[in-house]
Amino acid sequence: MQNRPSGFGNPWLQLGMSVVCVFASELLLKRGASEIAAPHDAFSWTGINGLASPLVWWAIVLIVASFISWLYVLRYIPLNFAYPLSRVVDILVPLGCWIFLGELISTLRWCGIALVVFGLGLVAKPIAKMEQRL
Amino acid sequence: MSFLAFLFILISLVTFVAAQLILKKGMEFSATKGMRNSYFVSRVAIGVVLMTVSFFLTLGLLQRFDLSYLYPFQGLSVIFITILAAVVLKEKLSLRLTIGALLITAGIMLVSMS
Repeated sequence: MQNRPSGFGNPWLQLGMSVVCVFASELLLKRGASEIAAPHDAFSWTGINGLASPLVWWAIVLIVASFISWLYVLRYIPLNFAYPLSRVVDILVPLGCWIFLGELISTLRWCGIALVVFGLGLVAKPIAKMEQRL
Repeated sequence: MSFLAFLFILISLVTFVAAQLILKKGMEFSATKGMRNSYFVSRVAIGVVLMTVSFFLTLGLLQRFDLSYLYPFQGLSVIFITILAAVVLKEKLSLRLTIGALLITAGIMLVSMS
């Protein structure tokens, strides 16, 4: 993790950008896939018919953007740190639904979110110490 | 869940995890040897193909199942990638990192089950 660029090229910033793009693309993909769902068509198992939805294309644009950021992240950060941290998206999705869509979050879901936050804290703590030393 | 659905979920997971490991190898190589070499290009190409396969299989599955139903399987990728990065890429795997990855996986499963 040494000799990493700063500013826009900071791999931690790129990791954050990658997460935001994945978050938005997950929601767009689900809406796009639901729009053109054809569960009785055997060909639809391939998912290729999903390309008929404009939302899926927007999701693909975001996926490409997140992929470019992710490749950059992989150049500087070990995979077993970067990947668990990138799963912060798994708490952003339900929290986004709660904040922006007014959906309710059950007690069990709050427990799940707490576990992910605790896990992320465990993974991130040695990184924070390493950053302080640099 | 039918056998076909289980098979597609499994292939989607395996291709995604394999893509991450191969891409990491390619990007690590590029950090020292640059990007104008066949090793880097072939690793990125294989990674992109595997991620594309995983993407279209997920898209097909999303037409049949809720996102929340498919999420636990995505959650498993955290622990698989953490362990395989240590085994295949020789990255350091501490007890803290293992427990953190397990908690994230368990948390993702709880979020999607509720």
